[in-house]
Amino acid sequence: MNEISNGDVKLTRRLFVRGAAAVGFVAGLGRFFSNGSVLAQANPGQPLPDEPVEATMKRLFGNRTISYGEGKIKIELPQIAEDGGNVAITVEATLPVSGATHVSHLYIIADKNRRPMLAKFSFTPDSGRAFASTSIRLATTTDVRAVVEMNDGKLFAVSKNVRVTISGCDLPPQG
Amino acid sequence: MAEVGRVSIRLPSSIKPGDIIRVRTLVIHPMELVQRDSQGKIIAKNYNFIHTMTVSFNGKETMRTEMTQAVSQNPSFTFPVKVDRPGKLVVTFSDTTGKEYAGQAEIKLS
Repeated sequence: MNEISNGDVKLTRRLFVRGAAAVGFVAGLGRFFSNGSVLAQANPGQPLPDEPVEATMKRLFGNRTISYGEGKIKIELPQIAEDGGNVAITVEATLPVSGATHVSHLYIIADKNRRPMLAKFSFTPDSGRAFASTSIRLATTTDVRAVVEMNDGKLFAVSKNVRVTISGCDLPPQG
Repeated sequence: MAEVGRVSIRLPSSIKPGDIIRVRTLVIHPMELVQRDSQGKIIAKNYNFIHTMTVSFNGKETMRTEMTQAVSQNPSFTFPVKVDRPGKLVVTFSDTTGKEYAGQAEIKLS
């Protein structure tokens, strides 16, 4: 940006691109922190930057305490996943999805993935039950957390360790 | 991958009024992985992956899922729906290229 404001420097295309990218990044960052959404809405195809799991938890849940959800949430994962690219996960909460206090969201977070946030399920009373099952990619042997967010802001979490033999995330480096 | 975007939905064989059924759905999609350069930095570009799945029953949204690339290729989902009357179940997947893939199933009560 300094280079552009300097009058002596001709505004080459490269500089312009660099400046535009910086502006875009800052704008994106602002949006990213302001709406607290899981995915950047304006350009959903752009991946989020790498972050440690603590940062993800902080971004999603702030400083709220997370209670241990044993007995409330059941998480099913294989003990050993031979192919990290396709790991079946089933999460079921016995908490209600309708009534005064109900489940609003269910997050799946893998601690050692470079971008730990995997999926967010939002339930309504018409779902009938807080249940979700899907297939996920895991980078390496990791804990996988299932976090349930209630409508009153309470959080419950359980986690399970999975041993991953072949990484599901890494492509060979490009270029 | 000529079949990209094909959505299949499986319903339980018999559904009674008031049941909470589990619906299985599968969509054919590459769910493109993040590419990195030799320094391990993410190559910035528009990656093609599904970011949202919405389920609606008789026109009313019953569930929504937001996801990242950490969901497998050709992802499958199982989700609950509370059924008290017959109707149309629509599952819509939106990907980052702006395309939408929808599958629908007719729920009949027995």
